[in-house]
Amino acid sequence: MALVGGAVLGAAGHWAVLSRSCGKAVAAPLFGAAAYSSVPAVSNRDGQQREASTRRRGRTPQFVRQHLPPRTEKMAVDQDWTSVYPTAAVFKPASVPLPVRMGYPVKRGVPPPKEGNLELMKIPNFLHLTPPAIKKHCAALKDFCTEWPSALDSDEKCEQHFPIEIETVDYVSSGTSIRNPKARVVTLRVKLSNLNLDDHAKKKLIKLVGERYCKDTDILTITTDRCPLRRQNYDYGIHLLTVLYHESWKTEMWEGEKTEEDMEEYIWENSRSQKNALDTLLRIKASENVSDVTKEELLASEVVKDYRNSVIALKNEGETEKNMSLYKESVKKLLNMQVLP
Amino acid sequence: MLRSLKGLLCRPLKDRGFALHTAAKDRVSSLLTQDVQTAPERPRAVFYTNENDPANHAEQHEGRLYSIPLDELKTVFPHGLPYRFQQQIKTFNEACVMVRKPALELFTYLRNTNFAHPAVRYVIYGERGTGKTMTLCHLVHYCARQGWLVLHVPDAHLWVKNCRELLQSSYNKERLDQPLQASSWLKNFKTSNERFLKEIKTQKQYMWGRRDRTEAGRPLAEVVEQGLARVRNASDAVGVVLKELKQQSRLGPFRLLVAVDGVNALWGRTTLKKEDKSPVAPEELTLVHNLRKMLMNDWSGGAAVTTLSQTGALFKPSSAYLPQELLGKEGFDALDPFVPIPVPNYSPREFESCYQYYLQRKWLQHEKAHTEAGKEELRFLSGSNPRQLDRLAGPL
Repeated sequence: MALVGGAVLGAAGHWAVLSRSCGKAVAAPLFGAAAYSSVPAVSNRDGQQREASTRRRGRTPQFVRQHLPPRTEKMAVDQDWTSVYPTAAVFKPASVPLPVRMGYPVKRGVPPPKEGNLELMKIPNFLHLTPPAIKKHCAALKDFCTEWPSALDSDEKCEQHFPIEIETVDYVSSGTSIRNPKARVVTLRVKLSNLNLDDHAKKKLIKLVGERYCKDTDILTITTDRCPLRRQNYDYGIHLLTVLYHESWKTEMWEGEKTEEDMEEYIWENSRSQKNALDTLLRIKASENVSDVTKEELLASEVVKDYRNSVIALKNEGETEKNMSLYKESVKKLLNMQVLP
Repeated sequence: MLRSLKGLLCRPLKDRGFALHTAAKDRVSSLLTQDVQTAPERPRAVFYTNENDPANHAEQHEGRLYSIPLDELKTVFPHGLPYRFQQQIKTFNEACVMVRKPALELFTYLRNTNFAHPAVRYVIYGERGTGKTMTLCHLVHYCARQGWLVLHVPDAHLWVKNCRELLQSSYNKERLDQPLQASSWLKNFKTSNERFLKEIKTQKQYMWGRRDRTEAGRPLAEVVEQGLARVRNASDAVGVVLKELKQQSRLGPFRLLVAVDGVNALWGRTTLKKEDKSPVAPEELTLVHNLRKMLMNDWSGGAAVTTLSQTGALFKPSSAYLPQELLGKEGFDALDPFVPIPVPNYSPREFESCYQYYLQRKWLQHEKAHTEAGKEELRFLSGSNPRQLDRLAGPL
């Protein structure tokens, strides 16, 4: 308002106008708590004079509004919370009867209380989604739902009949458009034990999908969102699953070049460990002048089997106390070390 | 409370590891402190043992300290003792080593080895500062006393890092020589095994360059002299020594102990670079190559005891201590099958021993260190880890 005029005036006049406008804005809070109540219609000069006369520490405001006690004091313990917060709303400290504190505490202090707490107001809250509220939502939605099939009364049966789980999300928001681009995402989940895969096919499939497979739960998760419509994404997901399944059953020529580094788990046959063990045993036998022992016999003997199991456990499961002691015992037996107790 | 003690009680002499007559009893040394107050002379504490020959160490000596005479120390351990232990020897004027279970276990294995069978490899592993190198030294002392030929490599990590001079090997163009490391190792090897070197004869003729050569049938000491005199040939001299010992240990009248500390250096990475700044792989170093061959189990008539060490290891995280982590796949496959020997922290009895030793040598000067509460605090702070206890006791 006056700023435009200020631009026209000279420098000194500019500053005068600005200060007057600032003074008007600043004067109101100087009246303290009464700032947001009905501002007395005093002129600017008058207000400044009054402000000047009452300039003392802890200035008592002219108009003190009596605060009503907050609503929380009148709330019963068994009230209907869904009527307090029926929809998503800002955190209102006077409506939430919880002694919540949030924020960074001052030195040797506590986090600030909930009254006027900006941190609590900023964050999203789920006070409108308490279990009774969800129950009411479900009761309201029940009219639009069909019955759950009675034959599927356990998780195992669901998994047995419907091994593939499709997950889609619908979004509702208050606005002019019902479209939401996030609604086209489709997630497919399937357990590999439900698919008909042999050892080679399973390893190949896991290598093909990479990150999408979880070893602990044996679930393959495919998320598709490259098509514009949900139906198209669903079709694409099913197509991917089909292709993966069929491809993993095929064996290409170059798969024969799989080296030891590509192996997922340690295989003892044809490994360096087997070679070492056989060499050692042959040398032991040679030193004892027992020369007609064949490799197959050695491999089939108890000590070598024991040794093999312990090395496999060590390499696949990692080194634990138990594994190391098993390995130690098996090596002692292999090398025929008789130790007197 | 007076106890009846068998044997004499003498004042401990702060002499060079003088073995005293002592009562070797299995009592908790807290009773001993009471004894100290009652008896007028201070007895040699229960945690010492006068059994100075490791061959006779047995279960009842577990947790006790035995001392090595200082002149023997020079011949048996020209290199190989940890630096802090060397400082402790200088301070206390005696070398006291604790007898612990892993060492005793190894002694039983070594006593029962069948020397006709291929050499068994033992790998001592454990967390940092639990006493692996000291166990190895205990073993080396035992074998030296028994008359074995000890091939002690104090720290294989020294061969794969901080090497100023790298020469191209004359024997094999691909490999690189390390004259300084090889010559220092040869010098120490000579001091520890003088008499063997005179007895063992070479079986082949070796040419050093165009002019020098060593005939077959000459004592091995000549090869060592050649390596020390001509530093250029030192690495090859080491290779020759190792090869000869390997071949002859089967038939020869001596037993061979290969003791390598920090064996994971042989299969790790090096920090050395060639002149064109490309990194050097460990197998390109002559010393490492020859030592790897030594650690194969295609020879007999002895044993190979190795230690894994993370301190000094290159490119390995500080929490790694298990064999597979430190050796890597290549090292594990090369040493397989080996007997792993774990070395744990101090047991309560061993901790007690060590604490009493420090007290008795007046190493712990703090007035609170003598109390029960002080002992518990030390135990807690060090976590019964030998190295931590040593470091903590220093400033006290």
